Amino acid sequence: MAPHSGPDANYFKDKARRDLLNLLEGVRGKKNLVISQDLAGPVGLFVKFSVLQEYGVDRVFLLENANVDSSQRNVVFLVHAEKIHHVRTVADQIQRLQRNGNVEHEFSIFWVPRRTLVSNTVLEEAGIIGDVSIAEFPLYFMPLEEDVLSLELGDSFSDLYLHKDPGCLFPSAKAFMDIQQRHGYFPRIVGKGDNARRLADLLLRMRKELDAEESSGLTDPSSRGLLPSADTESLIIIDREVDFGTCLLTQLTYEGLVDETVGIKHNQADVDTTIVGPTSAPQAQESSKAPQQTSKQGQRRKVQLDGSDQLFSQLRDANFAIVGDILNKVARRLESDYESRHAAKTTLELRDFVNKLPTYQLEHQSLRVHTNLAEEIMKHTRSDIFRAILEIQQNNAAGTDPTYQHEAIEELIARDIPLKTVLRLLCLESCMSGGLRPKDLEHFKRQILQAYGHQHLLTFSALEKMELLQPRSSATTMLIPTPGAQTGIKTNYSYLRKNLRLVIEEVSEKEPTDISYVYSGFAPLSVRLVQCVLQKQYLFHLTKGGPAPASVSTAGSISPGWLGFEDVVKSARGATFSIVQKGDDKAVRARQTLSGNNATKTVYVFFLGGITFTEIAALRFIASQEAPRRKIVICTTSIINGDRMMEAAIEKGSFTKTE
Amino acid sequence: MAASNPLANWEKVGDSFYRKIPVYDAIFDEDVELENYIVAGAPYGGAIALLRDESKLYRYQASPSSRSNIDIYSCSGKCISRINWERGAVRGLGWSDKEELLVVSEDGTVCRYFGLHGDFTSFSLGNGAEEYGVRDCRFWSSGFVALLSNNQLIAVSKYDEPRPKLLAPSPEGEVSSWSLIPPTYTLSRSVEVLLAVDKTVYLIDPSEAEDKVLQNGPFKHVSVSPTGRFVALFTGEGRIWVVSSDFQSKFSEYDPKVRTPPRSVEWCGDDAVILAWEDEIHLVGPNGVATRYFYDGRVHVIPELDGVRLLTNDTCEFLHKVASGTEEIFRIGSTSPASVLLDSVDLLEKKSPKADENIQHIRPSLPEAVDTCVKAAGHEFDIYWQKRLLKAASFGKAVLDLYNSDDFVEMTEKLRVLKAIRDYQVGLPISYEQFIRLTPEKLIERLVNRHEYLLAIRISEYLQIPADKVYVHWASQKVKVSNVDDEAVCKLIVQRLDGKPGISFELIAQAAFDEGRSRLATQLLNHEPRAGKQVPLLLSMEEDEIALDKAIESGDDDLVYYVLLHLKRKLPLASFFRMINTRPMASALVETSAQGHDTELLKDLFYQDDRPIDGSNVLLSEALSETDLQRKPEKLHLASRLLSDSKDPTVVLQQKMLSEASHLLKVQESLDKDIADRTEFLGLSLNETVYRLVKTGYGKRALKIQSEFKMPEKTFWWLRLRALVAKRDWGELEEISKNKKSPVGWEPFYNEILGAGNTKLASVFVPKCTNLPVDTRIEMWVKCGMIVKAGEEALKTKDVNTLELLRARASGPAVAQIERMINQLRPRR
Repeated sequence: MAPHSGPDANYFKDKARRDLLNLLEGVRGKKNLVISQDLAGPVGLFVKFSVLQEYGVDRVFLLENANVDSSQRNVVFLVHAEKIHHVRTVADQIQRLQRNGNVEHEFSIFWVPRRTLVSNTVLEEAGIIGDVSIAEFPLYFMPLEEDVLSLELGDSFSDLYLHKDPGCLFPSAKAFMDIQQRHGYFPRIVGKGDNARRLADLLLRMRKELDAEESSGLTDPSSRGLLPSADTESLIIIDREVDFGTCLLTQLTYEGLVDETVGIKHNQADVDTTIVGPTSAPQAQESSKAPQQTSKQGQRRKVQLDGSDQLFSQLRDANFAIVGDILNKVARRLESDYESRHAAKTTLELRDFVNKLPTYQLEHQSLRVHTNLAEEIMKHTRSDIFRAILEIQQNNAAGTDPTYQHEAIEELIARDIPLKTVLRLLCLESCMSGGLRPKDLEHFKRQILQAYGHQHLLTFSALEKMELLQPRSSATTMLIPTPGAQTGIKTNYSYLRKNLRLVIEEVSEKEPTDISYVYSGFAPLSVRLVQCVLQKQYLFHLTKGGPAPASVSTAGSISPGWLGFEDVVKSARGATFSIVQKGDDKAVRARQTLSGNNATKTVYVFFLGGITFTEIAALRFIASQEAPRRKIVICTTSIINGDRMMEAAIEKGSFTKTE
Repeated sequence: MAASNPLANWEKVGDSFYRKIPVYDAIFDEDVELENYIVAGAPYGGAIALLRDESKLYRYQASPSSRSNIDIYSCSGKCISRINWERGAVRGLGWSDKEELLVVSEDGTVCRYFGLHGDFTSFSLGNGAEEYGVRDCRFWSSGFVALLSNNQLIAVSKYDEPRPKLLAPSPEGEVSSWSLIPPTYTLSRSVEVLLAVDKTVYLIDPSEAEDKVLQNGPFKHVSVSPTGRFVALFTGEGRIWVVSSDFQSKFSEYDPKVRTPPRSVEWCGDDAVILAWEDEIHLVGPNGVATRYFYDGRVHVIPELDGVRLLTNDTCEFLHKVASGTEEIFRIGSTSPASVLLDSVDLLEKKSPKADENIQHIRPSLPEAVDTCVKAAGHEFDIYWQKRLLKAASFGKAVLDLYNSDDFVEMTEKLRVLKAIRDYQVGLPISYEQFIRLTPEKLIERLVNRHEYLLAIRISEYLQIPADKVYVHWASQKVKVSNVDDEAVCKLIVQRLDGKPGISFELIAQAAFDEGRSRLATQLLNHEPRAGKQVPLLLSMEEDEIALDKAIESGDDDLVYYVLLHLKRKLPLASFFRMINTRPMASALVETSAQGHDTELLKDLFYQDDRPIDGSNVLLSEALSETDLQRKPEKLHLASRLLSDSKDPTVVLQQKMLSEASHLLKVQESLDKDIADRTEFLGLSLNETVYRLVKTGYGKRALKIQSEFKMPEKTFWWLRLRALVAKRDWGELEEISKNKKSPVGWEPFYNEILGAGNTKLASVFVPKCTNLPVDTRIEMWVKCGMIVKAGEEALKTKDVNTLELLRARASGPAVAQIERMINQLRPRR
């Protein structure tokens, strides 16, 4: 049934690349490309600048800089059409070029991911719709990794939870329709959270519309997508809203920490050259590393962080505690590999060695980068501020009385640590224990306003709107674990902590047996929920101490949704659902007999609103346990971490004169 | 049917054969004098447009109908429709692949007639077309190029969103002829024009005009082959040249030996050129060999991709190259396996044993022979021979043990379809090749345009392609022509289309709306399953609320935005708010889009919704972005006034904080006045202000501000500590150390000062940290480099082990001292 059988990641990468290059080819001659900030990074994921040049792109401008000039006759805009302010900016810039340029410009706009009615209206109002040629660039899922697909909608988090604008649901649904058309319908859609429910409804509706549009009623067996897929098992949608708490914690895997300290955007980390050395030549002056966090004139270098770097794939999902060990081991191995050249006696052996040399050098380079990076992070993690923060977090996660931490938080405020870090701690407390006591909240509000500026009144109201930082409604309701008493309003961590064993004290970071290793003892609730669907036996064993699973692999071949955990799951926020997509029974059975049952089935796990690197690591951990029978493809709207969540809320303006 | 000679009308041209197949006869009425008309035929056997040629004299007719009409005929001479033309002189008449008729008038107006029945859209060429006037046009499958009288060229490459574009400026001079290469066949992917000016030819694309430097002009005709690979040129000396389209090589030359230049030069497939005079046609094959055809009256040539249609007053013929398979079978004296196979069928019918003998003879190549027969059947127009060939194929495959009959079955299906549409009643004389290129879907579209609904549905069912478009077209037509009341029409349509999947009721409703039957439109729209599809129509029907609901239902935020934009423009603000109030998604979208863009709207919205905090937040962010210093406090004041009536504790706090903010601003302003510093205090937070004051040595002022703003003691101590350390004001710090108590404890002092590198001062604070365990204190001493002090600490707790460790770390006189301490402890043991 699936016309293309390659992995989704490659398929989407190729498709995006092909589509873009075809569009560029359609504009004749040299052209200037104007691209919006939120697309510049993602485009880099599937096509290199040099390739764009081959296709006639002369210079690239950022839309936000508004500096496109008249150096080329052809001007191509590559912009999200769903964002009205971008569309308006495009219209303005075209008008500006038309007015003052003495060049007769040819404008093309490639709307991502589709041409919208609103964009038409805006261009029409500007009176330029007749002067531009418009095309669509249907860019939905971009592969970050073989097993990670992302829509790279950086605003999805703030849109969904701050502005309550479900704008990212539609593209998500479209993206999954793409997948369904490739593989057939998801036999089951399981999900948690109100937005997840909306997405599922949208998917069902789109399927209905597609059916209405495509099938002609004449039984045409080859018409695509009519049947539930044989090679996918289900789609699991987790709404970020269900578990804000997890991503407020500091991520403790290597990749997570790199993200927390230097930031990873579209698989690239922007690192100071004093840390990782300049792009090519190795630098010996590692001692001169200045501990400055904000590099002033220090050059920055983009470090590519993805599966193509072997060492990194080894490190990324490991707890940071053991990263040093791994690095040491690799360093020793490399050295012995190098030494093997002395052992080489015959010319054949020597040639063998020389052939391997490029790989060694590559590995060496990556080793140096990661060692330096790890050292830098280490410096950070050893600071007493970091330790204080971690302690507060761990205590909150473990469910001790949060008021004991208040003094520590106050001290941190007085020491002027970054605002987002303080807010993360407060939000964490609010999430984990159902809000702060009104008196405490008021107290902290005052302190923070005095410390960081009164403009953050806006920040607080944003956080409240996102339901990240709230006064506790009535003092007791949330603290008493009541099984399934109130559903859907808030995630009851104290109940779930116990019933899903979120906290595991004796976790081994070296040889983890449970996903909780990613936060050194705290299992992300979001991923536990996924386990409720995929690894029921294991969870039963873990929570009830029931019979040990004989082996993980016996845990049922088909997971019937939330079965067995319905009550528990009710204590997490939002709607719970499990939808079976049926097709023509006969055809399904026929295909089952054809394909056999031993095939690996794919499970798509979609984190609506963003996913953290630690959660990815945890999901990979599950995937490795389920390995031969199941394949997990992790999908998300974007990569997120606690800082980015806070940045969505933090007011950027201030009372300074200049601005 | 009597067997006609399959070789009839074959004509040998060089190595290959051409044949002219009569398709229809007696097509046009006597009074249509074809020589007086400009004729344009749609590709793929499509309709023919006739327009009276203004340059010809003709008998005056009094009837007004003859004024200026464009008549559309089918190939079999059936008049499909008549279009009134009142826009002046026609300079271009052509068709697109979708059978849309394009009429270009002299002033650059382009009318695109779709659906063959007079529905049209129009657009203007612009770019100076009005000024200079259009001289001539050339069309290709999806666009056209217009030549203005100043030799400027304007290209339109698509019709649904036409964007007339100027090509590069062309050279001056008399254009003797011209032609174009469609974008699909050019390297540049855009249309290129060959313009014969003076003695040479220019190749013109959007960016430049290139002179091909020829000397044999003026070329009376330039014609590009269907695949764009070759160009036929009619030279000044009256010869025809065939050259490659890059003008690098010349393939053949032919001298028609006729004094007058031909009226038109067209390609017949990709390897023969047709020269047409009034009543004479030359077919020039490769290497300059030619054959001639003569006619009684005027003959029009309509090029197709695999041949040409020849149109005279009473016949429609198709002239094309005989396919190699057909030639192999029918050629006189052919002994190819396929030919033998065909013979064997005859023999079989005669019950001759030779049939089997023949089959055995060609046995090894029988599969190919069957294939050839199947293909040849496709190329055949004569039903008798189609049947014979299929019979031969069927016979052949019966002999074979294993043969995949898919091709055979498909061919029979296609031939049935072809037979049905070639019927003179339908009049689509399409060849097999053209049918494959056109695709069945497009063919059905053409049938629908001719209102052949039944046939269209039958064919869709037969070929298993969706028929929904046919139904929709039928229904729309029904809506247009029927004059029964709305209920009845709706009922009829719904009844007929019941259970047919994929029907777009939106399109039918649109048709009804366009006819002015909006009630019917609403009724029909209720049957549309796709919510999103209904929205634009609902808006134009002014069903605003329903449109908004449907848009929200579709989950497509673009649609919701679209409706909202529309409504905001249309409705008074109050009713707009009322409409979005009850719909959370709509109001969320309005809020988001207004953020930072239309704050007035936001204020109104929050006021109406009674959300004072949100309202004051808008003012607060306005205050932030305000550049005028004086206006900031004003805005803050406004913001706080909005909150003044409420008793809600959060509101009260908000208000308190706002007034604190303006108070701080005031204080900072006066600080800026008093303390002439390079940087300003204004805009800093309270903590930052205090920190800066301490750091720059205004400790008293800091203290005053602390009490003024009720800053917690702890915070203040921390700020002072950090500021003093940053200032390296050790004296002041030492002064502080004389205090008895510190609200933050003394450890921070130790840490911060040590971090700044002053071990001596740091050590002062160690003894003050009485709350810490001993070993921490020991470590603290060690960090300051004071081993002896650490030793004393250990001595107090009588910890020998630690002392021994310390001894190892000590150096100089300290060693001895530690030694002594150890000894102090030891002897007693």
